[in-house]
Amino acid sequence: MTTESQTDMSGDVTAPPQAGVQPMAAAPTNGRAPLLAVDDLVKHFDIRGGLMGVTKLGAVRAVDGVSFTVTEGETLGLVGESGCGKTTLGKVILRLIPPTSGSVTFEGKPLFQLNSRELKAARRDIQVVFQDPYASLNPRMSVGEIVGEGLYVHGMTNKREREAAVRDLLKRVGLNQQHIHRYPHEFSGGQRQRIGIARALALRPKFIVCDEPVSALDVSIQSQVLNLLSDLQDEFQLTYLFIAHNLAVVRHLSSRVGVMYLGKLVELAEADDLYENPRHPYTKALLSAIPIPDPTVRRERIVLKGDLPSPANPPSGCRFHTRCPMAQEICKIEEPPLRDIGGGHLSACHFAEDVTPLKERVVS
Amino acid sequence: MTTASRSIGPLLQIQGLKTHFFTQDGTVRAVDGVSFQIGHAKTLGVVGESGCGKSITSLSVMRLIERPGKIVEGTIELNGEDLLEKSDEEMRDIRGDQVSMIFQEPMTSLNPVFTCGEQIAEAVRQHTAASHREAIDRAVEMLALVGIPDAKRRAREYPHQLSGGMRQRVMIAMALSTDPDLLIADEPTTALDVTIQAQILELMRDLREKNRMAIMLITHDLGVVAEMADEVVVMYSGKVVERGDVRTIFGNPHHPYTQGLLHSIPRLDERVGRLEVIKGTVPSPYNLPTGCLFKRRCPFRMPVCDVAPPMRQVGEGHTSRCWLTPAGEPPEVGTDPTPEEAEAAGEQVTVEPR
Repeated sequence: MTTESQTDMSGDVTAPPQAGVQPMAAAPTNGRAPLLAVDDLVKHFDIRGGLMGVTKLGAVRAVDGVSFTVTEGETLGLVGESGCGKTTLGKVILRLIPPTSGSVTFEGKPLFQLNSRELKAARRDIQVVFQDPYASLNPRMSVGEIVGEGLYVHGMTNKREREAAVRDLLKRVGLNQQHIHRYPHEFSGGQRQRIGIARALALRPKFIVCDEPVSALDVSIQSQVLNLLSDLQDEFQLTYLFIAHNLAVVRHLSSRVGVMYLGKLVELAEADDLYENPRHPYTKALLSAIPIPDPTVRRERIVLKGDLPSPANPPSGCRFHTRCPMAQEICKIEEPPLRDIGGGHLSACHFAEDVTPLKERVVS
Repeated sequence: MTTASRSIGPLLQIQGLKTHFFTQDGTVRAVDGVSFQIGHAKTLGVVGESGCGKSITSLSVMRLIERPGKIVEGTIELNGEDLLEKSDEEMRDIRGDQVSMIFQEPMTSLNPVFTCGEQIAEAVRQHTAASHREAIDRAVEMLALVGIPDAKRRAREYPHQLSGGMRQRVMIAMALSTDPDLLIADEPTTALDVTIQAQILELMRDLREKNRMAIMLITHDLGVVAEMADEVVVMYSGKVVERGDVRTIFGNPHHPYTQGLLHSIPRLDERVGRLEVIKGTVPSPYNLPTGCLFKRRCPFRMPVCDVAPPMRQVGEGHTSRCWLTPAGEPPEVGTDPTPEEAEAAGEQVTVEPR
């Protein structure tokens, strides 16, 4: 099962598929069609300046040719550091911002070509949970209004019916049903995130983009929300795109994990495989940088030199070559394609086969 | 607290510190009887969730508590001298000279209208007789020391021209420019990406060796603590609930809150089906429970928990504010114990002196 059938390009798509980049190999799909297929997605933000601010000076290449599929019922984790484009990618998939080029197909429908009526229908199925539970809830709306708004928009105009539905949702996400008339400021961060989750669930979506859903929460509250997300996935057969910078959180929830660097997907594999056998030097460095909460374990630490280059002016060839401990001459010239190096493990590195697992030892 | 360490004397000794905030809605006991010490060239990790009082403790050490907050009780001894008895002028000399602090968000702690070099030079001139020229040279030297490439040029740049990791390096350079005995680092890497965090932690480890500097590391990231700290203090709702060396705290935690924290974080190196959770939320500072502050969330809650447990020794150099016996068993007391009975229930363990 490949994604080629989904690559029907729309008329407004201008950029041709990049030379040298293979069509994405399919993920193990158990014979099922992917729920969501992202194909060569590009999002550039123009940098404008000059007189009246109309001259285009350049572009921030936030997402620069990303392809992957998400199978029904799975959780695809997406990790990367700030500025890697993971949040922009989520927003483009949600059609909150328009893409520069590329396509996203949901259940076989090309999302970017839907008219407003079709889009409204598609939005029932695609929902989002945001990072900041303080900024993403309207302070002037009660919980009932926040959670019930989507129901109203999609035709549940009977107030009593709506309130019953909201109460049911509150119960499912572990909130007190009596609190339906309260306002967001009356809740703690963890409770607010539950409200955000209830809102996302209201229309019984198939697919939820979770953009850093727990990173604003305290440690003891994080685990409550993570457990809730996985319970709801079982209960409603949800499919998640789980975007986060915390690799431990992503591993916990995801079946497959993609790693982004400067607008590119550099590695994509089954979660366990990726963590135990990283095949891209950036993934390896990222994993090695995470402190392990166990003072008796010492793991190999690869400290990357320097900072993330600017996405407005990414390095030539492989974008990671300026910081890569394995970089060779070819890396400066030729951009490595994302290729299958066996068993559905994709890596965009010329030397993917030479990347060794992290060394770890127990100190006594 | 061993006698050996007392004979040399710890670098920092906090005793019964209480910092309260007198607000219109009532008194918030942000720090309520905190005691701990840091030895010379040692790193102490202070762990806890937001609102537990860890940052207020560090600001108290710096004497940077502003109204409506007030240090109402306790002593903070640095090199044997009580900081709470110092005048504002004396304190200004101690800050930077003996104890420095770096904050979580480097952008808000740097002055946007001065260059990085000038800001470091100001700290140098405050504490030494250096001329302007010498102070600038020292600033460039410090920037190079913390691993900023092309330090001379960077010293002439303004904070907004630097990345987050660079700014945090500038903060560290400034904090270390006067060679302090104690560095207080309040969530120094929380705002940074993991690869940059790794750089900063390595830098702090390096400088700790080179300068024989003690670090009070405040963080909620247990991974960072495991990696950096010699000893750990766990705080909850303004009180220290457990204290011990890093291996004991991670390998054999006694307090149910510490256990809960350690079990509820997803691990990178092992996959579990379901995370354990600490139920409920941190109590409101305006409405703290009587007795043990953690009892509403505690899986081991017993009748005796309505009486506030004292900090008791549960192992060598290991203390915990919980009624459970050192082995983690419930003590045998009646359903409605008096404080004396509850106290006696833990008689086989000695109440830690002070």
